[in-house]
Amino acid sequence: MNRRYFTSTDGPAVMIAVALLAPLPVAAQTWTPPRTADGQPDLQGVWDFRTITPLERPVALGTKEFFTDEEAANFEKQENLRQDRDKIDPEVGGLMYPPGGVVPYNEFWYDRGNKIVGTKRTSLIVDPPNGRLPAMTPEGKKRADLRAAEQRETQLGRPHADSWEDRPLQERCIVGLNAGPPMTPGAYNNNVQLFQTPQYVVILNEMVHDARIIPLDGRPHGHLRQWKGDSRGHWEGNTLVVDTTNFKRETSLPNSSANTHLVERFTRTGADTLLYEFTVEDPTVWTRPWTAAVPMRKSADPIYEYACHEGNYAMASILAGARAAEKAAEEAAKKGSK
Amino acid sequence: MTRQIAAARFARAIAALMMTALLQLGVAATAIGAEPARTADGKPNLNGIWQVLNTANWDLQEHAARAGQVVTLGAVGAVPAGLGVVEGDDIPYLPAAAAKKKENFENRLTADPEIKCYLPGVPRATYMPYPFQIVQTPNYVLMAYEYAGATRTIHMDKAPPNPVDSWMGHSVGHWEGDTLVVDVTGLNDQTWFDRAGNFHSDALHVVERYTPRSPDALTYEATIEDPKVFSRPWKMSMPLYRRLEQNAQLQEFKCVEFVEELMYGHLRKQPSK
Repeated sequence: MNRRYFTSTDGPAVMIAVALLAPLPVAAQTWTPPRTADGQPDLQGVWDFRTITPLERPVALGTKEFFTDEEAANFEKQENLRQDRDKIDPEVGGLMYPPGGVVPYNEFWYDRGNKIVGTKRTSLIVDPPNGRLPAMTPEGKKRADLRAAEQRETQLGRPHADSWEDRPLQERCIVGLNAGPPMTPGAYNNNVQLFQTPQYVVILNEMVHDARIIPLDGRPHGHLRQWKGDSRGHWEGNTLVVDTTNFKRETSLPNSSANTHLVERFTRTGADTLLYEFTVEDPTVWTRPWTAAVPMRKSADPIYEYACHEGNYAMASILAGARAAEKAAEEAAKKGSK
Repeated sequence: MTRQIAAARFARAIAALMMTALLQLGVAATAIGAEPARTADGKPNLNGIWQVLNTANWDLQEHAARAGQVVTLGAVGAVPAGLGVVEGDDIPYLPAAAAKKKENFENRLTADPEIKCYLPGVPRATYMPYPFQIVQTPNYVLMAYEYAGATRTIHMDKAPPNPVDSWMGHSVGHWEGDTLVVDVTGLNDQTWFDRAGNFHSDALHVVERYTPRSPDALTYEATIEDPKVFSRPWKMSMPLYRRLEQNAQLQEFKCVEFVEELMYGHLRKQPSK
């Protein structure tokens, strides 16, 4: 639907139209996806999943599942202002940055989009119904506390960096921040290209560039644990369902564990839209499964090469910085004892 | 024995001989690659997991087996021999480039980008000792390599202009009969052709040809053009073999974690004295 067609003079007609269109899945069911030559629903193309809709619904919104148009416009305005790194004074702090800390990237580096999702949902999480991550297990809380403490030290310019192993997998270019599985909108490179042959579906994320090649022939999961897990796909009607287990250590989700069972669902909802849904079952970390929905838009742009490791000057700099800080502290202590 | 029985036996023997001859002809015809399997759009079906069975990644040119450079690796680190994959076995370096190649060879233990798990470039990605998968669709052919999770997308229809030089380059493909021809430009000067220090500049232009030669083998040819490094274009060729295991699948070879100690070890926190 093209929003340009609605002007203020349309008044009540617009409201009725919006109300009728609100339950998008109904509209999706009536739309027939194109087919590949061998008869599969055709999901191919480059898909853009940039959005500023948060994973979790802000607590203040309570049980509000959808924004109205006006609320959506307000939220976008405020959120774009709040996210603007160029407007954060490190001395004062802001967003997740504490006062006197480091704001490591300015706006130049961001490509997170500036719109909420087209469904106007208030969170990407659709289950639990409150739009928030479920309660954590004691192990989950331990992971979250540790991560929060480490992040705080990093934000204050004192990253824990005895070696690269203290840094997150994303900084090491081993897994992509938002590439998943599961894919979650992030700071930049929110693009994925889907390829289909009769035997395989391939998910190629721009972030850290590797292809997830998913067999559709019903073969069972393997035994090897891999960073991206082990994915198997099948069709349920017009929906591609991808089942992933055997993660090596964690998924790309913060605080997650290797014990994750992930189910992703890809459904074309229109000529230029694809609904990506995923359910995370990780009993090590969360007390119940949870589900998020990320609508994607077709992009005319190609996927670029993101040579993360090849250009990772940051890792050497982080480690060298930590060693320099230790040396300075040592020298200061020596002076103090004299 | 009656004449009738003898005649019948003779006829059967002739028929059997003819059948054998026909079968042999049939086998020969398949081996020469008469008619490849095709995709729905009528192109040769190159989908599959492929791998070379040669030592081109150690040295493109003919070479006897030689010792490795890491003494503790013994036979494991030695270089297996190879008859070479370069047409005429001659890589036509310009004089300055020939000296650079020699220097690369001497410094290969530290200077080869493969040592640091860097993206391999083209054509090296094809003949590394890891499988790769061809994912063929009408508009795009995705090449997914097990080594380092490298990928490149071959644009078969409207190719966007090359935005910037990259490790895996900019690939535009078309079909010439049953051959997939890929024109690769936009490659940076950071990759090598092999572990022996054969190299190129950012002026590299590669034309690759993938041709079915039997149900389970392709012929791979790459023509190399780089006026900053070579006095004329030169060509390599080799078969690619299908991985026939029932459960064949690309696995992760995310080698970053295997090179971090090498690259960053000197920046590790030292035990306090």
